[in-house]
Amino acid sequence: MRRFVSWAAAVLGLAAVVLVLALGLGVLPIPGARLAGVLFGAGDSTFALVLWQLRLPRFVAGLMAGAALGAAGCLLQAALRNDLADPGLLGVSSGASLVIACVVVMNLPVPPGLLPALAMAGGLLAGLVILAASRAVRDPVQMILIGAALASLFGALILFVIVLGTGLQIQIVYAYLIGTLAGRGWADVLRMAPWLGGSLVVAAALVRPLGLLQLGDEVAEGLGLRVVRTRMLAMVVAIALTAPVVATCGPIGFVALVAPHLARAALRTGAIAQVLPLSAAIGALLLATADLAARWVVMPAELPVGLVATAIGAPAAVLLLRRHARMAASA
Amino acid sequence: MIPGGMTRRRSVAWMVGGLLGLMLAFGVHVAFGTVPIDPLRVVKALAQMPDSRADYDIVWNLRTPRALVVLGAGAMLGLAGALLQAITRNPLAEPGLMGVSGGAVLAIVVAIVAQSKLDGLGIVRDTGLALGLVGIAGGMAAGTLTYVLSWRQGSDPALLVLIGVLVAGGTAALASMVLLVADENQVRLVLHWMIGSANGRVWAHWHMMWPLGLAGLALGLGCAGLANALQLGDPVAAGLGVSVERTRLLLLFVAAVLTSGAVSVVGAIGFVGLMGPHLARQMVGTDARRLFPFSVLVSAGLLLLADIAARLFPLGWLAGLTGLALPGRSGMPMGVATPLLGAPFFLYLLLRRRRQA
Repeated sequence: MRRFVSWAAAVLGLAAVVLVLALGLGVLPIPGARLAGVLFGAGDSTFALVLWQLRLPRFVAGLMAGAALGAAGCLLQAALRNDLADPGLLGVSSGASLVIACVVVMNLPVPPGLLPALAMAGGLLAGLVILAASRAVRDPVQMILIGAALASLFGALILFVIVLGTGLQIQIVYAYLIGTLAGRGWADVLRMAPWLGGSLVVAAALVRPLGLLQLGDEVAEGLGLRVVRTRMLAMVVAIALTAPVVATCGPIGFVALVAPHLARAALRTGAIAQVLPLSAAIGALLLATADLAARWVVMPAELPVGLVATAIGAPAAVLLLRRHARMAASA
Repeated sequence: MIPGGMTRRRSVAWMVGGLLGLMLAFGVHVAFGTVPIDPLRVVKALAQMPDSRADYDIVWNLRTPRALVVLGAGAMLGLAGALLQAITRNPLAEPGLMGVSGGAVLAIVVAIVAQSKLDGLGIVRDTGLALGLVGIAGGMAAGTLTYVLSWRQGSDPALLVLIGVLVAGGTAALASMVLLVADENQVRLVLHWMIGSANGRVWAHWHMMWPLGLAGLALGLGCAGLANALQLGDPVAAGLGVSVERTRLLLLFVAAVLTSGAVSVVGAIGFVGLMGPHLARQMVGTDARRLFPFSVLVSAGLLLLADIAARLFPLGWLAGLTGLALPGRSGMPMGVATPLLGAPFFLYLLLRRRRQA
């Protein structure tokens, strides 16, 4: 528990540093000493506008999306007892993206508030296949291959939709498919908030059953746990956490894979009650930092945050895969 | 299946049947298109005695090179898939899953956009042997990356495919980045490779493809004996006097040449190199001397059928349903059709293997 408290404090502290940098850096730099003054009305109103309407909501959106992904990854890994599970690698994000690509290309008259729900429907489609396969397939590596097949199936359908589009729409869809936080504002934050809040409440209730599940299906069943129902519920919550992120920022990869691993390594335990919140916090910190880098590296232009996440996350995933193969070989 | 268990006569029968089937698919591909032309006029146009200028242009200048390009691409991807499956001893290996196609596409996309920016004036070109060579360099680089990253006291088959998926994902993300800096003309052209299509492939593309294809196919088919030795496992192969690492590298190189040669003309076509060799193995067994040529036949036929299906896909109902102005007559690109068939096939293979294990 003391490890948890000290790590949580460390993550919060780092997040505060990133907050100051994210608010201060940009085409219009604001020195740290003046930040507080500008935030609370003193000085130039242009600065206040940039801070309150552009940089702060974008930072908050990044934190929320990262937290949702970190929690979703942790839930998926616990539910499937597969430490390689990740909404991107399992095809869930692709399913959700397909729906959004349809909406963009076909100009469907969908109110933005409904987008997360639609994305969730697409994600659930992939989740159902994964859930069905999880009864037959125990091997984590096989599971990821099934996810890769699902992702390429949805990828083909996304291409199908893209072919129907015009030049500009195609560029929008591709930019979206990399994942970006550019131009995300308070409206997006408000749209994601209820989904996150609701999902996290259910996730808190799932902590105990998921802990039992880690003992193995048979033991958990012997202790009176409804295994299939728990697994299904955890996956639905994970998808409900992923869907609003995909709907607002695109399928940002690898955060959900890496955050739980970092949390487990920091805590030196797999106890869900501690890993879940720390994983969410680390996910938030990772994505906010990645977005800061994405804005800063090629200033005054910027990179999509999804590219930065991939640049950091893909090598991390390679390391995880190699470690997994090594442990599987020695087991 | 025991390699020697297949009688010579039966595999010859399969081979002849496969050739006939391939010729039939080729004929259907040339005979049917978005503009209906009756078969007699098609034959006349092919024999260089067309009824009209339009017939000649459609049949000889559009449909014939397109069918040839599809045939060639299918053959090359099929052999590349069979080679990769032999090298990795993993029946799930495939040019697309190894990152090779992704690397080739990325290199070509970068080359096209950069060349177009250098030329200026909105000129965008998509032919030339140089483009094929750029594709090969990209494909080789990505394939090597996958191979090196999955090296663990010898290459680990499951790891190879997983890392391949990651490398393919990374190259796709980078290619999307290039799209963001491209103008509309460039986007339109570059999408051809990112999706994979035979639309608008003409004689110029065939001329760019066949030298690489011929060299790659000859080399690959000639290596069948070496591939057989590798399939027995490294120690046995070494015992037979085969230099294992050098052979593996040679076969990998041939597979990358074949893949990149195909990809540089028709773009990233997934899953043909997975399905073709699998179907071929069901028919003629695992002996590479029979499996390789038959994989070529089956994959070429598959891709022809996929292109026919994609081209004839009716977009009309979709236009009616959504009220969109769809690119009506050019049909769907075949790069959309092959994963729709191939991904379920891949799932089936995974689940079946699981049951056998």
